[in-house]
Amino acid sequence: MTRPVLLSALLLAGIAATATGGGSAAWAQSNGGARALAPGVKVEVAPAPGSGSAPAAGKVDETALRYYARIGDGERMEAEIARLRALDPGWEPPKDLFAPQPTATGVDETPFWTLMSAGKVAEARAAIAEQRRKSPSWQPSDKLLQELELAESAGRIRSASDTKRWQEVVDAAAAQPEAVACNRLDNAWRLAEAYAELKQTDRAFDTYKTIVTTCPKAKERRDTIFKASRHLSPERLRELSALGATANPATGEDYSAVRSAEAELETGRLLERLGNAKPGALSAADLSRVQGIVRDKQDADGAIALGWYFQKQKNFAEAQSWFTQANEWAPSDKAAEGLVLAYNGLGNKAQARAAAAPWKGKSSRIDQALKAVDPPRGPSGPGGGRTAPQGPSELDRALARHDFAECLSIIRGTIARSGPTAALLQQRGWCLLELKRPSEAEAAFAEAQTLAAREPAKGGASAPGKAGSRGPAASGLPQTATPAQENAYGQAIARLATGDVTGLTRDLPRANLTATQRAEIRASLMATEAGRALEDKRYNDVLRLLDARKELEPEPRNLGIVRGWALYNLMRFDEAYVQFKSIDDRLSTEESREGVSTAWKTIYHDW
Amino acid sequence: MTSPVGTSRRGMLIGTAALGLAAAVPGALRAAPYDGAAWRRYAERFLLPEGRIVDTGNKGISHSEGQGYGMLLAVAGGDRAAFDRLWGWTQRVLMVRGDGLVAWRWTPDGGVADRNNASDGDMLIAWALLRAAETWQAEAYRTAAAAIVKALAAGVLVEQAGLTVLLPGRDGFRKGETLVLNPSYWIFPAIRAFAALAGGERWGKLSDSGLVLLSKARFGGFQLPPDWMTLDAAGTVGIADGFKKQYGYDAVRVPLYLAMDGYRDPYYFRPFATLATKFGGSAVPATVSLPGGTTTQVAASVGMLAVYRLACKLAGAGDAVTVPPLAPDEDYYSTTLAHLSALAAQSLGIDP
Repeated sequence: MTRPVLLSALLLAGIAATATGGGSAAWAQSNGGARALAPGVKVEVAPAPGSGSAPAAGKVDETALRYYARIGDGERMEAEIARLRALDPGWEPPKDLFAPQPTATGVDETPFWTLMSAGKVAEARAAIAEQRRKSPSWQPSDKLLQELELAESAGRIRSASDTKRWQEVVDAAAAQPEAVACNRLDNAWRLAEAYAELKQTDRAFDTYKTIVTTCPKAKERRDTIFKASRHLSPERLRELSALGATANPATGEDYSAVRSAEAELETGRLLERLGNAKPGALSAADLSRVQGIVRDKQDADGAIALGWYFQKQKNFAEAQSWFTQANEWAPSDKAAEGLVLAYNGLGNKAQARAAAAPWKGKSSRIDQALKAVDPPRGPSGPGGGRTAPQGPSELDRALARHDFAECLSIIRGTIARSGPTAALLQQRGWCLLELKRPSEAEAAFAEAQTLAAREPAKGGASAPGKAGSRGPAASGLPQTATPAQENAYGQAIARLATGDVTGLTRDLPRANLTATQRAEIRASLMATEAGRALEDKRYNDVLRLLDARKELEPEPRNLGIVRGWALYNLMRFDEAYVQFKSIDDRLSTEESREGVSTAWKTIYHDW
Repeated sequence: MTSPVGTSRRGMLIGTAALGLAAAVPGALRAAPYDGAAWRRYAERFLLPEGRIVDTGNKGISHSEGQGYGMLLAVAGGDRAAFDRLWGWTQRVLMVRGDGLVAWRWTPDGGVADRNNASDGDMLIAWALLRAAETWQAEAYRTAAAAIVKALAAGVLVEQAGLTVLLPGRDGFRKGETLVLNPSYWIFPAIRAFAALAGGERWGKLSDSGLVLLSKARFGGFQLPPDWMTLDAAGTVGIADGFKKQYGYDAVRVPLYLAMDGYRDPYYFRPFATLATKFGGSAVPATVSLPGGTTTQVAASVGMLAVYRLACKLAGAGDAVTVPPLAPDEDYYSTTLAHLSALAAQSLGIDP
């Protein structure tokens, strides 16, 4: 690079000489050894080659090594020593590695390395360009340029993959294969994902395979299996796990966790199937495996899934034991709901009411479940003369089984026989919501409301079991919803489900809801808004919304993850890490692991 | 990369140009150098007697950018009379805002058609005044320049995400917390001249931020800057909505201004060189959609090719671009770019 600069210096003199007659003298003035292009700014003209002190050809470039030594990054220093030795086996690390050293070229590269290490790649580029403008004879070391290009390629792969420009991910990786090596595992995963999205499954598999057979750390191999599970079939995943557990083992690494990753994924799949399973859909072996794992991990969500599995089989005793277990590991209205319905199935109404007690009036889920225990008067029997419930009706039993399709068909039959009531239509709304048919649910609640307005006697009546919990509004006790409020609440939930956030936010202040219901809807709205804010990259808004929401309800896991990413994107990496870690410690899933690992890598520049 | 052979060819060119034969060199593959004769031809075609530059590719309107380019080329062409006519018309007709900035657009039918300023136009005018002050040792020009620079600093220099940036105009470029910016409004040599004035520190920061943004604002396969970009409060850059999402007629000036300011880091010229060489250095598309990379059928003008030739040289891609001679009816923008490219090359000491 010194040669062209020298030429240009000679040429400058030529221009200055010829330009005097042409009128451009004012532009490119000759001004002694320097030239003034803009007022007050002089640009250095290149020295003759040899007069500088660029490193001799063939000599090992120690710039990066000295930089690592200076900042005390032992790990990267060792790696760099190994790399340089590989380049030149005769080379020995300099003895004065830690001594301050004037740089060979007269330009100290430290500021550029510092910017780059801080992730300020664009700032490093800017500083280098400025330096090159001032000293045209200088050029940055090859190592610095390589590192910059690598960091930029990595950034490009990230942004292309964030915006789902998959082919660009592949192109960028092809142009800079080092950007997808083991030490930049996240990018290697993004490349594999890009192949998968481009339907090049074989290449996706090959990329994952390269990672699990060449990257030495067991944890990385294991994480790769989890990543791959989104894109590969169970068969190929098994192949990947087997390879990852055996290929190119590094000393001191325990790969048993790699093999078990596949089993954990299998458990996840089983639990998922459990959720939608028809009775008997799981083999005895699968079932006992899931039970064992759920017990090992004290996984409350898994226990609830198992509870419902048995509840649907009318195995109420087994269901009750799993819901109890879940409630012990992590008390929640979801676990209590199952417990209420399991006790009810066993005919043990006192226990059912006791299980509901902590949540009564606070959780619509529990209030719903209690209707199965103490059915409200009216909807299920035409007489209305009963003083106490006569055992669960057909509808109550369907609800207790979570058989919502059956719920609809029973209500359809009842309406066909004896006409609609507000309570029936409201129940229909709840069942439609459970079946994820929110628009129909909203209509059902609206219909119920219309009908309730024409049923003044029934509208004012309260269920016998709830009479005792009613207090004056001023007493501060949980307020039981009137049927009209239940309808309004159902409509609000349905509108949430259809995504009508704007309309709901507008109408919420005027809606006839209990304080608890209103708080619940507000919390849900804020959760939805927080999700949107995250998508729009309004990270401070995310935190503001989640904080406000937390005042109303404890933060569930999924919003905890959202909070983590908001913190991360605000570059509050330490807080993000703590957030992800606390979630991951409770139950490790793919998303919590991803948060922990991304935050960790960012903090420690471990890409 | 310039080679020893290049040197001798260059020497021959300078010799022939001095004899006024540049246009007659058989098979000339380079843009003509810029000199007094080039200025006279430019003035004949685009400068009206009253002192306005006509944008011939744009229905004969005039604008602050054209006045600025005209004034710069007049200084470089050594024509003080023409310079004064240009500056006079600019003051009389366009400087009607009352805040020291220049209304950007004027039409023959309606006079000032948009009172908003275009920051690059103001900058070009102020920079040309500074160059005139230096060339002709006239303090009045410097005083006028300083007033415009001060008005710019007050009106369009803003801080965002730790960067000092330039709003493209006083009004209409803030969308909530996000700014809309134009990378080609970073006229680096002008900014450097402003930074050298008393109290010009913020202009120095504007230069730094320009390089940072040009490193960040790289999109699509060619990694080109968009004509219009966004910068949000967190420092993230994007392609602006509400404009064509493309690299094109505006952003082509990015490498030109960098070269004019003496930058020669290949990193900053490579995207443009990559685009030009991909299309064989001749039928280069005038625009590229971002980030998609769809190219238009319209070919880059002679002036744009001159910029690409310069970018290729600075990116180390050699003589990849062939620049045909300016056509007799070459439009204002293309001709201006061609002349500015020649000036930049001359100041860097490379073939135009």
